[in-house]
Amino acid sequence: MEHVRPSTLDEALEGLAAPDAKALAGGQSLLPVMKLRIVRPSVLVDIGRLELGGVHMSENELRLGALTTWNELESAQELERPALAALAECASGIGDLQVRNRGTLGGSLAHADPASDMPAVVLALGAQIVLRAASGERTVSAEEFFLGPFTTALGPAELITEVVFPLVEGSGSAYVKVEHPASGFALAGAAAVVRPDGGQSVALTGMGGQAFLLASDANPVDALPDAEIYGDRFAPVEYRRHLAGVVARRALDRARERMEGTGE
Amino acid sequence: MSESVIGVSRPRVDAPDKVTGATHFAADGHVHGLLHARLVLSTEAHALLQRVERDAALAMPGVVAVLTADDLPLASAGSDRTTEPLARTEVVFAGQPVALVVAESEAAAEDAVEAVVVEYEPLPAVVDVEDAMLPGRALARVLEEDAGGGDLESIHAGVDKGQEDGEEEQLSGNVLDTVHRNAGDATALLETSDVVVSGTFRTPWVYQAYIEPQVATAWLEPNETLVVSTSTQGSFVTQRELARAFGLPLERIRVIAEPLGGAFGGKLALMEPLAAGAALALRRPVRVVLTRAEDFQATNPASAQVTHLKIGARKDGTLTAIAARMIVDRGSNAGWGVEGITSLLVAGPYRWEAHEIRGYGVQTNRFTFGAYRGPGAPTAAFALETLMDELAVELELDPLELRLQNAVVEDDVGVSGNPFPRMGAVEVLERIRTHPLWQSRDSLPDNEGVGLAAGYWPGGNEPAAAVCRVNQDGTMTVVTSAVDMSGVNTGFAAIAAETFGLSPDQVRVVAADTATGPYSGASGGSKVTYTVGKAVLKAAEAAREKLLAAASDELEIAPADLEVVDGVVRAVGAPDHSITVAEISGKALRFGGRYEPIEGHGGSAQTRGAPSVAAHLAHARVDRETGEITLLAHVIAQDVGRALNPALVEGQMRGGAAQGIGWALYEELVHDENGQLLTGSFLDYAIPLAERVPDIDTLIVEVPAPDGPFGAKGIGEAPVIAAAPAIANAVAAAVGIRLRELPMTAPRVWATLEESGA
Amino acid sequence: MPAARQLELVINGERRSAEVEPRTLLVHALRDGLGLTGTHVGCDTSQCGACTVLLDGRAVKSCTMLAVQAEGAEVTTIEGFARNDELHPIQRAFVEHHGLQCGFCTPGMILTASDLLTRAPDPDDATIRRALRGNFCRCTGYQSIVDSVRAAATALREGEAA
Repeated sequence: MEHVRPSTLDEALEGLAAPDAKALAGGQSLLPVMKLRIVRPSVLVDIGRLELGGVHMSENELRLGALTTWNELESAQELERPALAALAECASGIGDLQVRNRGTLGGSLAHADPASDMPAVVLALGAQIVLRAASGERTVSAEEFFLGPFTTALGPAELITEVVFPLVEGSGSAYVKVEHPASGFALAGAAAVVRPDGGQSVALTGMGGQAFLLASDANPVDALPDAEIYGDRFAPVEYRRHLAGVVARRALDRARERMEGTGE
Repeated sequence: MSESVIGVSRPRVDAPDKVTGATHFAADGHVHGLLHARLVLSTEAHALLQRVERDAALAMPGVVAVLTADDLPLASAGSDRTTEPLARTEVVFAGQPVALVVAESEAAAEDAVEAVVVEYEPLPAVVDVEDAMLPGRALARVLEEDAGGGDLESIHAGVDKGQEDGEEEQLSGNVLDTVHRNAGDATALLETSDVVVSGTFRTPWVYQAYIEPQVATAWLEPNETLVVSTSTQGSFVTQRELARAFGLPLERIRVIAEPLGGAFGGKLALMEPLAAGAALALRRPVRVVLTRAEDFQATNPASAQVTHLKIGARKDGTLTAIAARMIVDRGSNAGWGVEGITSLLVAGPYRWEAHEIRGYGVQTNRFTFGAYRGPGAPTAAFALETLMDELAVELELDPLELRLQNAVVEDDVGVSGNPFPRMGAVEVLERIRTHPLWQSRDSLPDNEGVGLAAGYWPGGNEPAAAVCRVNQDGTMTVVTSAVDMSGVNTGFAAIAAETFGLSPDQVRVVAADTATGPYSGASGGSKVTYTVGKAVLKAAEAAREKLLAAASDELEIAPADLEVVDGVVRAVGAPDHSITVAEISGKALRFGGRYEPIEGHGGSAQTRGAPSVAAHLAHARVDRETGEITLLAHVIAQDVGRALNPALVEGQMRGGAAQGIGWALYEELVHDENGQLLTGSFLDYAIPLAERVPDIDTLIVEVPAPDGPFGAKGIGEAPVIAAAPAIANAVAAAVGIRLRELPMTAPRVWATLEESGA
Repeated sequence: MPAARQLELVINGERRSAEVEPRTLLVHALRDGLGLTGTHVGCDTSQCGACTVLLDGRAVKSCTMLAVQAEGAEVTTIEGFARNDELHPIQRAFVEHHGLQCGFCTPGMILTASDLLTRAPDPDDATIRRALRGNFCRCTGYQSIVDSVRAAATALREGEAA
């Protein structure tokens, strides 16, 4: 395996064109699977030092650079508002302090672990994901991005550069999960957004092959088709289905409290 | 006199090295020309080995050898982990070492492991311990049977197995051992008891989860001495096991026990036969360091157990009889199991008029059973202490009063048939009674509860010796071969300082190896302070006698009229007449010196047991919607004999309680029906994390052990035992459900709540 | 096998050079290449935290980082944490408040605590426990470690004030 450290985004995209090349950012998703020898890249394109970080807030949107770390997200003052509280809340519950120092938003979304937390938040907040290839840039919605377990719309020679969140003034958001006691991954996680016009979005993660949005006005529990739900030795289908309803309701309640200013 | 150093909290003697990275653990030492071994583990739970294809691995860069059992210079045909460190012909659990890849670097060895191909002829995997007992069932081992012959069992707690009886139950050949403890007519007494409660309790295989994975390094000295530097609980026992494995005389084996990165019962002679075998075969230094994944699969966790238990009482709360049938899953361990000790401890620290207890040690194709802090005890306590609580409810008695009323006192005869030595069962319960948490148990918010449970550990004995040597500068060096698993060296320093008359910072404790040190048994069974500590005390006394003889000569005052205070020998009542220990030692340790070196040797051979008992209070909150249990507070009251260093004693109490929390809520090694391990990493196997362990309030109760040094006794095992049932009883108090299986995971709690409609 | 190369690292304030392959994890470069064995390996799933070091002052798991990723950064291991031959206040607190037993997790605990206390000089117990989530201890039950970190926080604040 080779390691290259391009100094520009264009060089990085060039490097990714090599067969079995993999982009390395913080490495908190990639290195664990490389250690297990599940992933064996021929070239690691180390993008960790490219200028792809940063929390950029404008009047009607939030732009998060792909290399923004979980720690930056959990401590960013810009995110201390009900409409975006789910982001920091979610980030602060990922992994542990050391992992949050290194792990990045873009790296995690690209990895698309079906039990990871942030996909639910990205979905519920209606984010757009900006992808860059040598041939140019495209933007896909979060819903279009996640395709299945460890599978996304990201092409092999493409990088996530930014994630863009629309700002809905006056809305509230929250992320609630019940985690596996060993891995810390979500047995069921729910991100909820409630808007002043009465609309709401709920996305679930940890339930099946990928995070998904619930139909806009559905009762969270009834909206779950059986096929979507994983069962395993630790948490059977029936339990996960039940948890989905619990975390969805709790996330909605908390999002509403935040919107109404009655929460913390 | 200066202040006593006994009973005073002091930092551990090894703390400065441990906070600076100066401590060299067993994987840290630099050895010239070192080769690195990596294990090839069986992918089958039960199979005959057909062929190990090694050419591809041998062709890889840096690979020196691929060794199988036939390549190791093993002396006998046994089938335990010492005599068969690599499977010969039959593999008996998934994860059993089958081959060793030895290479110039760890990375090269790891790469090559993937290239070793092992062919198996699968056999039926025996994974259900209850089913395995039935006559006619498939056997977990079809070829060789060997009772082992090592002495690993006696390390943890030597207990007898009760009486033989005539009646023969029809059992399969998987049942390797049966235990029967019986007195009075328990069956009849249970029939006539006013209240009887019963249940079947299950506990899983549980992993010691020491943070330092298992590791050993071995090499041959030019004079053919086999040197093994290792992370072990006992150097002499490892030396004996290696002699047994390779047929070498003891004098040719030198075992060096390095600082131990946690063990809790699990580090005894598993890695050393592998490293030594490879070093003997290749005549080069070889280190075996397990990865965590290998450590999960290839080591020796605590047995799974099934306990059928029934207990009875009279209306007034007097316990009548106990009947138990306890099935212990030994995995592949033919040598020993916990059926002896668990069938003793299931009776708890209580008086019974009659008992009828049977234990079964059953082989399966799951791991090799090994010891884990209080072997067989947490699982026995979970069953008994749950039923004690249920009994209290049925009798409408306070659960603490019920326990107090029946708690053993000195000379009560236990189910072992022997009288209990002095043990503070009553005292720890009395301390709990007045604790604010217990007092507030009836005024808690909804879904919160406080639970109580108690348990004891009988303690262990093994003769031991120690040397106390005064150096030229007046400081003392204490030499033992005890492995410091729990802070015992810090206790030895206090014992020696107090006995001799120095301050503890003038005492250094060094761990010697099998070539140089006085004898010591392995650290385990809660016996080191009680036995080696006693030897240190006697060695310090012997050194003091030499000191006083010399000082008497120097000061012209009879020894009986001298005292030693902070390194100065002085006349009682006339402190101006004095001479320092350093001055005397200086006169001894020199050419033409006048006195014998100020050095003492001491030994101990404890015969009486010194059991330690602990009671726990757990305060839990149950989330009825998710089934999650949150621990809000925990209290442990333990009879520690005498707390030589209270801070270290509290550390043992809290550490044990935290492991008990693991038993209660998180820990479970699970196999599928084919014997494949499903929870073989910390991503699947949860241990208590900092944010899930509450503050643990420690109540030290001191009921001195008559034979212990300053009344001290072994305290390591007792604090783990009754934590889980205390939490289970707290859950019952919170939401009214009784779980019969550990761990009480959120999905299980939720399912039980659903079933109960609570 | 890909060619090993010399990697320049700044470790404990000194410029050091180690031979590494691209795949070499930082922890192995530290332990095997540079003899800094105070950084321990306790798991292979990036969880136990025994391998924690500071990278530009931030706690990272050196088992989940390639050595080449540390190029140009300042790495601090437990061996370089003491200040001028004197124990760092966090180290001293772990000694005095009995924040260790076997000691295998201790270097990682101390370095994670250092990161925490840099950001949160006066953390409550819940914050300390949360910060230590990625550091396993099997001996202590954690309380003495939490006590040590709290005491270190006080010592550091008082040191700043002085």
